[in-house]
Amino acid sequence: MRVAAVIFLLSLCACRDVPDYPLPQQSPSFENFRTHAVRVVDLAQGGADQHIVRDIIGGSSLPWRWTLQRPAVKVRIGFNTSLNYLIDFTIAAATFKTTGPVTIAFTVNDHVLDRVRYTSPGPKHFEKPVPREWIQPHQDAIAGAEIDKVWVSKDDGAHLGFILSRIGLVER
Amino acid sequence: MIHAWTALLSAAFVVAACWGAGVVLVNWCGAKLNRLESAPLQFLTGACVLHLAIFAVMALKIAYKPVWLILIASAIAAGVSKNRKRAGVLAPKHWTFVLFSAIFLGYAVLFLVNAWVPETSADGSGYHLEIVSDYLRAHGFVQIATNMYSGLGQGIELLYAPAVAFGGFSAAALVHFAFLIALAWAIFAFGARIAKPWAGAVAALLVFLSPIVARDGASAYIDVATAAVVFAVFYWLEIWDGARDDRLLAPIGLLAGYAYAAKFTVAVIAIYALAFIAFRARRIRPLILAAACAALVIAPWMLKDWIYFHNPVAPFADEIFPNPYVHVVVEQQWTEWLRHYDLPKFQRLPGQVTLRGDYTQGIIGPAFLLAPLALLTLRRAWGWRVLLPGFVMLAVYFSNIGTRFLIPCLPFFALGIALAIENRWLLTILAVAHAVLSSPWAIPRYASKYVWRIETFPYRGALRITPEQTYLRENIFDYPVLRMINETIPPGERVFATGDLGWTAYSSREIIDHFRCAFGNTLWDIMNTGWAEVTQPSRLLVLHFPETEAAQIRVVETAQAPQGQQWSVAELRFFDRGAEIARRPEWRLRAWPNPFEVQLAFDNSQATRWRTWQTAAPGMFLETDFGRAEKIDEVHLETSPDLAWPIKLRVEKFDRGQWIAQTGHFEERPNAVRNGIRRAASYELLRRGVHYVVVGDKDFGASDYDDDPGAWGLEEVARVPRATLFRILP
Repeated sequence: MRVAAVIFLLSLCACRDVPDYPLPQQSPSFENFRTHAVRVVDLAQGGADQHIVRDIIGGSSLPWRWTLQRPAVKVRIGFNTSLNYLIDFTIAAATFKTTGPVTIAFTVNDHVLDRVRYTSPGPKHFEKPVPREWIQPHQDAIAGAEIDKVWVSKDDGAHLGFILSRIGLVER
Repeated sequence: MIHAWTALLSAAFVVAACWGAGVVLVNWCGAKLNRLESAPLQFLTGACVLHLAIFAVMALKIAYKPVWLILIASAIAAGVSKNRKRAGVLAPKHWTFVLFSAIFLGYAVLFLVNAWVPETSADGSGYHLEIVSDYLRAHGFVQIATNMYSGLGQGIELLYAPAVAFGGFSAAALVHFAFLIALAWAIFAFGARIAKPWAGAVAALLVFLSPIVARDGASAYIDVATAAVVFAVFYWLEIWDGARDDRLLAPIGLLAGYAYAAKFTVAVIAIYALAFIAFRARRIRPLILAAACAALVIAPWMLKDWIYFHNPVAPFADEIFPNPYVHVVVEQQWTEWLRHYDLPKFQRLPGQVTLRGDYTQGIIGPAFLLAPLALLTLRRAWGWRVLLPGFVMLAVYFSNIGTRFLIPCLPFFALGIALAIENRWLLTILAVAHAVLSSPWAIPRYASKYVWRIETFPYRGALRITPEQTYLRENIFDYPVLRMINETIPPGERVFATGDLGWTAYSSREIIDHFRCAFGNTLWDIMNTGWAEVTQPSRLLVLHFPETEAAQIRVVETAQAPQGQQWSVAELRFFDRGAEIARRPEWRLRAWPNPFEVQLAFDNSQATRWRTWQTAAPGMFLETDFGRAEKIDEVHLETSPDLAWPIKLRVEKFDRGQWIAQTGHFEERPNAVRNGIRRAASYELLRRGVHYVVVGDKDFGASDYDDDPGAWGLEEVARVPRATLFRILP
């Protein structure tokens, strides 16, 4: 009984009116603040086109883009320079019929990291460590690729390379 | 090398002052102590008295070096003048005692040297000494709202304050080491008091050499001191029971209260003491006297917490005592974790605390696997008396199963084991075996490689032959980060840490940790919202109802969320016929729970959000008083994907003295997260006076800050391996 009384008194001490507060200062909008730079450009994400340097056909709402011969994107390097080059792309069956096997060179800041020959169409993934001396911390870097043979439209002469989904540099 | 000696002398003076204060009190209460027991009991009892004096100094904000000198000198002088020689022998003359003494002295030197080195323990230089440093800088108590641990009792830490003021952090560890010696001495003395000197000596060695006791006692922790205080309560109870002099109730009550001041959980010894007195005296007066003395020590600490945390038992019971300093769910998750420490199976606990120690952070040693033997003593007169307080302490241990939280039980169980064995030869074998198994070289052979223990004999560090800075750099993982903060951030500025940053006593700038306070929790939530889609307000909950006129309106949550799941609202907006009702300065806002952060749902920032910070439950609400009648037919709540439970909301308007539910329908739509949310997040830190952020490379969101600090409005100002310091641009 005494314990209950003590608990009751303590809970009375704990009870209080819910305080009210005035309207706070309204935060400004940062709508026009610059977009966040990335290390990997995922073409399914909004704002991906802002990172294109060359040879990627932008302006699409699809999660991939057609490239021309030498697609490249600009990415941002932090303090970590222990990175892998990464690319996810597809060699379209329709273009492969015309071009046959293709060789793609993968580049970082115009250094050729590797050349790979692809003898079949379909989705491809390539990943390889980037030598540290090719990139500088807290600088932009250019991640790119170059296909040796492009498909050329017989109708309008348009060039197409491959279908790009994701490209950039990831932590090892 | 001068630092080494100032540390040792400062600690010695504080220890002497404790003893001096104890001599005065023990003389006053007329206790008939023998020669063996007088010193440890005088020291432990005096520690309580001195801590009260230091509390007064801190409360009066006069914590300056001359005041410390006067206080310490007065206590020592009083002790010397009142001290009288006591009868009795220190130890029987027998070869086993020579052996025990040799073991004790050898290890004592090892432990002393470990206590003497620059302080590098995780909690010691993590928060015990950080709080002491804050008080010393402020020359008294100061609200440390960004560290919930400052709500814990600091009965032991206050003794460290004068030692640290003169001798630096290692002086604190040396004071704690004195408690370790006093505890072992008191256990031995108790054995002698009950005419079982061999049992007392071996019990003392079991405790003293226990790996966790040694490591803790040689650090600026408080667990060994707390255990010594608990044992002193027990010891005084036995003395009182023999003499039945009411004056002896003073040290009992004071020390029982001091146990609360040292560590909340061991305050059960006060309950035990009062129950013991009531049971043995069968009178109310002794009970009231002891309780009054305990209250004399407990009340100031409760009052301090009430003033600084609006909660007399901070940082606990925050649901009963709501306050803006500790979020309920954080307290709940923290205390829940303390009950299991990620231990996969509870059955592994005995093996963990005695042999392995990787989960529970330390071992008491294999000798304590013999603890069940102690039950054999229950057949004898001393059995219950020795073991019962041990069981009481064991009961509260399960609220925090870290090995060091067993330390207050150990003196009782060690005495139980020794009294059960009783045979001098067997006791000697046990003591020697325990000494061997507790050696720094033997422990890694059976315990976890990384168990917290004494590992080396670092005499070069202790004597400062190895410079202090070098020693700290070699032994403190985060030292480069702390140096970077000290050297880069201007005085008076504070920094938000996005991850765990330890040893913060070595920072001269205020570090706001993401865990230790409600403010830090909220800053972390804001910064995470900048990069983590799961916390961004990409969901819009719309409540439609027939147009109504209301001056006060609220949204009530009516479903019970799963344990730990919260209700959160980034922005709450009101509409009438498709047009938002403009927010006006006359509005008044209320919320329950967490009323203190209600403004976060009305600040026009998608980076901030009001959260319940406790499991969402029916009746929780957000309320707006418009200050005048407004027509309204729609309420919009912006929320995030991490609200992943079936929430139910109801709109109510206040009309003629009661809340009336508005019936309508509910729909969910996608909500556009505005560009620049990262900058919006860092801006919120600026608004709260935080201009710096330190990001560890493995912290949540580290790569996002690092990839493009500019998009956050951050500027990198310094970098060390494993962490970057950013300034938030204005």
